[in-house]
Amino acid sequence: MKRYLLILLAFLVFPCLAIAEEEVKIALSDVTVNTDDLESIKRGAKFFATTCMSCHTMVYLRYDKLAQEAGVSYDRMPVNVKNWPNGITPPDLSLEVDVRGADWIYTYLHSFYQDTKRPMGVNNLLVPNTAMPGIITAFQGTQVKIEGQPPTALFHSLHWYDLLVLQKQGSLTPDQFDATITDLINFLSYAAHPYQAEQHALGWWVLSFLLVLVVLSYFLKKEYWKDVKRK
Amino acid sequence: MTTKDEVIDQERRCFLRRATATVGGVGIAAAAVPFVSYWMPSTDTEAAAAPIKVDISAIQPGQQLTIPWRGQPMWFIHRTAEMLDTLPQLSSTLRDPDSQEPQQPEYAKNIHRSIKPEIFVATGICTHLGCVPTYRPDKGSIAPDWLGGFYCPCHGSMYDLAGRVYKGVPAPLNLKIPRHMYLSETEIMLGQDSEGEGE
Amino acid sequence: MIPQKKASGLLGWFYARYPWQEFMQNHLSGYFAPRNFNFWYYFGSFSLLVLVSQIISGIWLTMEYIPVSEGAFASVQHIMREVRFGWLIRFMHTTGASAFFVVVYLHMYRGLIYGSYQKPRELLWLVGMFIYLCLLLEAFTGYVLPWGQMSFWAAEVITSFASAIPYVGKLIMVWLRGDYNVSGVTLHRFFALHVIFFPLLIVGIVFVHLVALHKVGSNNPDGVEIKEHKKEGMPVDGIPFHPYYTVKDIFGIMVFLLVFCTVMFFAPKFGGLFLEQENYLLANPLQTPEHITPAWYMTPFYAILRAVPNKLLGVIAMAAAIAFMFVLPWLDRSKVRSIRYKGLWSKIAIAGFTICFIGLGYLGHEPVSPLYTFLARFFSVGYFAFFVLMPFYTAKEKTYPVPERLT
Repeated sequence: MKRYLLILLAFLVFPCLAIAEEEVKIALSDVTVNTDDLESIKRGAKFFATTCMSCHTMVYLRYDKLAQEAGVSYDRMPVNVKNWPNGITPPDLSLEVDVRGADWIYTYLHSFYQDTKRPMGVNNLLVPNTAMPGIITAFQGTQVKIEGQPPTALFHSLHWYDLLVLQKQGSLTPDQFDATITDLINFLSYAAHPYQAEQHALGWWVLSFLLVLVVLSYFLKKEYWKDVKRK
Repeated sequence: MTTKDEVIDQERRCFLRRATATVGGVGIAAAAVPFVSYWMPSTDTEAAAAPIKVDISAIQPGQQLTIPWRGQPMWFIHRTAEMLDTLPQLSSTLRDPDSQEPQQPEYAKNIHRSIKPEIFVATGICTHLGCVPTYRPDKGSIAPDWLGGFYCPCHGSMYDLAGRVYKGVPAPLNLKIPRHMYLSETEIMLGQDSEGEGE
Repeated sequence: MIPQKKASGLLGWFYARYPWQEFMQNHLSGYFAPRNFNFWYYFGSFSLLVLVSQIISGIWLTMEYIPVSEGAFASVQHIMREVRFGWLIRFMHTTGASAFFVVVYLHMYRGLIYGSYQKPRELLWLVGMFIYLCLLLEAFTGYVLPWGQMSFWAAEVITSFASAIPYVGKLIMVWLRGDYNVSGVTLHRFFALHVIFFPLLIVGIVFVHLVALHKVGSNNPDGVEIKEHKKEGMPVDGIPFHPYYTVKDIFGIMVFLLVFCTVMFFAPKFGGLFLEQENYLLANPLQTPEHITPAWYMTPFYAILRAVPNKLLGVIAMAAAIAFMFVLPWLDRSKVRSIRYKGLWSKIAIAGFTICFIGLGYLGHEPVSPLYTFLARFFSVGYFAFFVLMPFYTAKEKTYPVPERLT
């Protein structure tokens, strides 16, 4: 809280600070992860297998049944590929949701825009000068930065949609694209912790059982301590 | 210690003690489950122990192919007609000539102990104490009346060319025949048959 | 002594050869504890529970963990995903590590507020402080084992403290690491320390801690010695530990487990405090994370280290922060044990110390900034003032009359 107030103060005292730089810091957009939705996870897995897996590995899913059935199989991942462009290996995504957070990945995949100055022709608001090519563009469409000054962000934070505009739609409408990315992130969440469903289910049983024990042991304690209260 | 008029309700105490102990005992048993399950083979271990395909097309007559599976040597031997002819002659010298002991699936409960007579599939582990026997097909190589078979160097156990154990040797049983099935003339699926998967 | 029933058969055979009944009598059913133990008195037995839990879950993890740099990180994922209930045992261990410090800090705090370190319990306090030190080292070596980014860089930073020592510092640092920089060599030896050396040491010292406790008996919230008023050889304000405190501790443990399991099953990462985001990345010696922090239970000391603008003095200040705790029995000059009857100065001092410790803990986790550095210095001064001024304010302050018997 203290930190946000301080930043607000800084913005009030030095307004130009917010607008002067080229790259504006954007806030993360929220995505609702639902790891109970198996169908969504399977769709996300298929999307991953067909779109992302040419560059990204998911080595820790090697023995995962759901992943294998959806096409995310170890022998089709670029596991031992050496010569990536610029020498930058696309990161393994098994744990990406834990490293970055679901909101971060969601925002990242929405924030690509056309940039002729970059070798791949695209740039990203969340990771300036990202090495990732515009794979997303085929689905989302081409986005460009808005004309002129970005809007001021005094009492609300800027999101990617405040700074980018869709120039030409890709194979999916904005809503379809959003749903596809949400499915993908559901899969990435599953991939980071496939045991979570079992973990939560078991958790409820354990807590209920412990509650019974708490009650029983309480009465047991109270009964014996009657002796002490009597003294 | 009870100076007041209340008496200790021993029955209530006993009941509460027993109830808490019982529920607690159930809890401890339940808590033990993950620790015991943890020791079962993990999914990657299960994957490594899965049935495998074996190509038998290149095995020459009389030749032995050894494939490691589940940490054991699995033998695939291309038996000649001559080798097969030795089998009926040996019945009196064998412990279990008709394979009565459960060392093989139903389809291998015959004189040649295999699905196809020419292809012998067996687990190459001596039924005495677990050494790997040597393949000695040549007549007279072990003893003057040796018709061909397997000889275990550890304690001298001997088996015929269908893996049947001789009398008078330490090994008690015939060599184990694993589950297997033919996917084609040249390919065997080791570790799986119509009944299921496993050894 | 409460007369024992003479047992027959197998049990009788056993009792004749092993001092089981005597042990039960001396340390449980015939061992007297003050009757006024409150909430603060649960944390000792909770600590014992967590120790046992960590040992069991730790042994199980060792069965599947690979203690070399080329397999460590992957083996943790193997445990989480492929070993049956591996995720449960691993979360039990990570939650237990943080739970251990929660209960130990509260256990120590109880000692602080009720003067349990005062005569005749100075040795008990020293032994406990030694356990705390071993626990910090056990936690540190354990944290390196997953071999994530935080594991690696925490090892680099903490082992580099040694290099602050004049003349021999660099040598000691290389000696600790087994290599010129933290590497697989360091990982493997930390594994041996974490799995065998420190657990054995801790179990041994905990035993010594309990023996020392039983010699002098527990303190209590009023700070009044129950042994001073006896009738028929038994303290009038005492109750046998068994069954009264065994049954009370069982209840306490059930509640503790309820909280523990809630975290373990529903929030094991605890917002990034128990399992840090950065540690989900494999260790990379060529790239330092933006934001290195130690685990939450070490952040107060880290904040003190960073507050001092000199490398050697910072390390000394950090060490002094823990060292002062050791000499607490000799800093407290009060005739009164418990905060209930101490004067206003002591009450302000403990409140201030608590605020400083928590404040430092928060700051130790945040990135450096001018404001935060100022605050860290302010809280550090407050932290040390608690100890340094204690001989004065405890001797001079006006205390309340201490009751003869327990209230």
